[in-house]
Order: sequence, then structure tokens, then C-alpha cells
Amino acid sequence: MSVAEIEAHELEGHPAAGGLWSDAWRRLRKNPGAIVGFVLVGLFVFVGIFAPWLAPHSPLDQDLSLIANGCCPGPSREHWFGVDELGRDEFSRVLYGARSSLVIGVVAVAVGMSVGLVLGAIAGYFGRYSDSIVMRLMDIMLAIPGLLLAIGVAAMLGPGRWQIMVAVGVASIPIFARLVRGSILAQRENDFVLAARSVGVPRRSILVSHILPNSMSPVIVAGTLALATAIIDVAGLTFLGLGAQDPSQPEWGAMLTNANNYLQNAPFLAIIPGLAIVISVLGFNLIGDGLREAIDPKLRSR
Amino acid sequence: MLRFIVRRLLLLIPILIGLSILVFVWIRALPGSPAESLLGEHATPEAVAQIRHQYGLDEPVYVQYWAYLKTLASGDLGTSIASTRTVTYELEHRFPATIELALAAMIFAIGVGVPLGFLSAKRYRSGVDHAGLAASLIGISIPIFFLAIILKYIFSVRLGWLPSIGREDTLSEAEHPTNFYVLDGIITGNLGASWDAIRHLILPAIALGSIPLAIISRITRASVLDVQNEDYVRTARAKGLAPRTVDRRHVMRNALLPVTTIIGLQMGLLLSGAVLTETVFAIPGMGSWLKEAIFNRDYPVLQGGILFLAIVFVFVNLLVDITYALLNPRVRVS
Repeated sequence: MSVAEIEAHELEGHPAAGGLWSDAWRRLRKNPGAIVGFVLVGLFVFVGIFAPWLAPHSPLDQDLSLIANGCCPGPSREHWFGVDELGRDEFSRVLYGARSSLVIGVVAVAVGMSVGLVLGAIAGYFGRYSDSIVMRLMDIMLAIPGLLLAIGVAAMLGPGRWQIMVAVGVASIPIFARLVRGSILAQRENDFVLAARSVGVPRRSILVSHILPNSMSPVIVAGTLALATAIIDVAGLTFLGLGAQDPSQPEWGAMLTNANNYLQNAPFLAIIPGLAIVISVLGFNLIGDGLREAIDPKLRSR
Repeated sequence: MLRFIVRRLLLLIPILIGLSILVFVWIRALPGSPAESLLGEHATPEAVAQIRHQYGLDEPVYVQYWAYLKTLASGDLGTSIASTRTVTYELEHRFPATIELALAAMIFAIGVGVPLGFLSAKRYRSGVDHAGLAASLIGISIPIFFLAIILKYIFSVRLGWLPSIGREDTLSEAEHPTNFYVLDGIITGNLGASWDAIRHLILPAIALGSIPLAIISRITRASVLDVQNEDYVRTARAKGLAPRTVDRRHVMRNALLPVTTIIGLQMGLLLSGAVLTETVFAIPGMGSWLKEAIFNRDYPVLQGGILFLAIVFVFVNLLVDITYALLNPRVRVS
């Protein structure tokens, strides 16, 4: 084993094994807000995964006899949240909707985060021209209000499920890129980087195995909060008519949009999917805030 | 200070050029074309070709871009393909609507958020603090359009207290010299029209202002908590200044620094949110206009509108930085 490898091994071992993360986890468990967040998100994920077993009806079964006397009968024993304008069971649709929202949120954030991470890492670590080019490009993207940018990308790709995921993801690229770059710039001058460089660790592996892992904590916090924003933005795009055109997949944003037409007679059809969005988003926000406080040493004292 | 401003202005030039290219290329990458959306699906190829020629769409992209730059330099933003009105004319009518809405939302957010944050910090860890924290968390978790729909349902449909759509009463015959309807009423001495415009603004402003409100109150709270423990605050208290004077002169003045930055950063969010709010409340502003333009493939509107919005956005950020530099001399040096 060369000196460099020993050095690298030691450097990796220490902060990752104990220190920051277990410390953060301990703080997180003591934060009541974060606990509530975990419960809400846990519920959301659970419902998303087990929707087919939990739902009392198929989300697509239409029972037109239920809406024979106008739209729409409210909650009853048979249909806990009532039925929608096509006589479909609202409760089952909300359960299935968790699935869509979860997938859409995760994919959108994965797109934005991965591209942002690469761009930010290039800009932050290699500096000079690559920094200028990447960051000016990010400035240009940031000059367009986020939702408008997402609408633009969605319009370019055409309406549909994966298109809005990409659109929402793309709109969040500059945020991640900036964050990663700033975080890397802060890490780059650290002693452990100097140490790795002085023993001849190649530039790429300094970046990948030393700098990046140490700059991840703000990115993880931002990622959790971005999940919340992504769910809201996807619902917003769906509301504007850019969402999935496939009615076989119940989706909260789309349910809310449809319900808007029946607000007068059936306000619960809008309120229920709306509350589902609020609860899941609130969960991610609580976890994100808790993580930030657990990781950021400056906030720890309070 | 002047150097700071000039340097920031120079930095804007490449951003704006890049932006115009980006928007230009993006629009041409959109599926469908204005000719199709204008003439419908059953248009003959000849008719499509004629429309394409009329708007110069049959030229190579770089030729189109150059032609676009030339007309842009003469202050001409082109003509909307959908409405056949000039983009400048539409901007004059729609931009004030959005700005009025954004300002109203900001006034609501600052007017409620700053005192709420201050109170939360003063009563740190009390019931007020916890309630404020919970409210702001829920505030940032509600999709704007959901809040807008709920507000509309409760206050317009159910209670009938406030109007639900548009910027003024449909029967209104008020004059609009500036297109800022509230201001117009005051200028023309028609206070009834002003009041009508304000009533139309209340619900959209609350919906749009909810997220900035939550963020501003939390930043104010954190900032006041920080400043409160500074030495100069302790000194001021120790020398026997009235608590209210200390709060106003020493705590608030310093605590509001980060709040100004946040307010500027919220502008982009407000413009994004305006798209949804304007859609729910049928307000003829920038957001709903650009949204329709995307669906109609209205190239001139998209080019002119997005570029204009981006310029405004960039200048607002510049303004925020300048204000910040004025308030905080340390920034100017770096």
C-alpha cells in the first residue's frame, strides 16, 4: 500500500465512519419536527408502494349510477372520500396518486441533482474557463423564473409524465450547480486536499473521493427540500395543462385541476388531493429543515 | 459604489445576449409551429408556406436571429401572431397587471411577515413562536394554485365578499392612463375604481404572497435572534435606552439586512407564482399571457415576453445588490 493510499484510506475512513453523519443522525432523532417529517414521508412512501393492497376500489372503476343525481356525492361508508365526476372512488385515487407523486418527485430531483452535481463539480474544481462558462450558463437559466423555465422545457418535450419530470428537474439544475460549486470552493483549500495533493493523488480522485463526499451535506439538504418543491411544481404544471395526458394514472395535480370545475358542488374533491400534496410536501420540508439544523454547525447551538 | 454598479451592469451584457440566443433557439425547438396553430390541422401546404414566409420562418435560424436583433435594436418587439397586436402594446397592458399583483403580494408578505418574525423572536420558544413556525412551514408547503382555489371558493363562491376573477368589475368604465389600475383610480380622481381594483387584488395577493410571507417571517425571526445577542445591543440596553428605541434603531435596522436580500430573491418566485395565480383568478397579466403563447407557439410573444421578463428580473437582482451594498459597506470592498 502506497503512502497515498494509506492517506486516502485514513481520510475517507474518519469523517464517514463516525463524526458528521452519526452526529447529525443523533441530533435529527431529537428534533420533533424531523420526527413528524419522517412519519409523514414514511406514510406517503408506504401508501405509494402498497396502494394496490390498501385501496378498497380500483382507481379506474367508474360507477355512473353514483353520480346519477348530479356531481358528486360526498363521503359515505362505502366511499370514504366520496366519488369524483366519473363515479370513481376518490379514496382509492388519492392512494394511487401517492405513487405518481413519489415517482415524479424522486425522478425530477434525481435529474436536477445529477446534472447540477456534475456541472457544479466541474465549475468548482477545475475553475478558470470551465467555471466561467458553466456559471454564466447557470446565470442565464436563473434569469428565467423557475416555473416558466419548467413550462418552457415541458412545452418543448410535449405533454406527458416523464416530460414534466425532466422539465422540473432541468429547472432545478442551476440551484444544485451553484450549491455544489460553492461547497467545493470552500473545501478545495482545506488541509486534507493539500495533503492528498502533496502525496500525489491524481486530480480526479481528489475530486471524487475527497472533495465531493465532504461537500455533499448541503446538497442532501437541498435535495430533500427540492423533493418538496418538485411535487408542488409538477402539480402546478399539471394544473396548467402540461401534465400526463394518461387518465389511467391518478395524479394529485390532475385530480385538483378536474375538481376545479366542480368546486361549487363538490369542494371536497379539490380539498382532498390538495391536502395530500400539502402533507407530503410538509413531510419533506420538515425533514429538510431538520437535516439542515443537524448538519450545519452554525445552527447547532440553537 | 459607482464602480460596483458599472461592473455589475457590464456583467449583464453577456447574460442578456446568451439569454436571447437561448430563448431564440428554444422556441424553434418547440414541436409544432405558429402556422399550424394559426391555420388549424387541415391547412394546405401552400397556406402554411405562405405564413412561414410572411414571418420569415423559412430562413435559416442564424439569419432569423440576426433579423431579430436588428428589429430589437430599433425597439420593435414584433407582433403577436395570435392577437395580431404588437408585443409592445400587449406588454404595456399586461406587465402593469403582473407588477401590481406582485407588489400587492410583497406588501402583504412584508407587512405581515416582518412583524410576525419580530414577535416570534421576541417571544422566543413561546406559543406565538411555535405557532408562527408551524404556520410558516405549512405556508411553504401549500401549492399556490391550491391556496388560490380554496381562497376563491371560501371568499368568492361561498361568502361572496370578494370578486373572483379579473382586475376590475366587468361593467367598470374607469379610464386607465397607466394600466396600474389602483394608481389609475387615484390619478383620474376615481377612488371607487381604485377600491374596486384593490378588492380584486386581495385574494390573488394573499395566494401569491403566502410563500414569501413564510420565508420572510422565518428569516426575520432568525436574524433578530442573531442581532439581539450582539454586543452593541447589550451596550445600548445597558446605557438605559428605551427598549423600543433599541429594538427600532439597533435590532431592526441590522436584522433587516438579510431580509432585503430575501425580498429580492423572492421576485423570481413571485413571477413564477404569477403564472398560476393569474390562471386561477383570470388576470390578464404576463404569466397567463406567456402560458397561452407557449400553447399557441406565438414566437414573437415568447421572444419578447421572456426576454423582457428576464431583463426585469436581472435588474431587480441588481437593484437588490445595490441596496444591499448601500446598507452594508462591507460588501462593496470584495
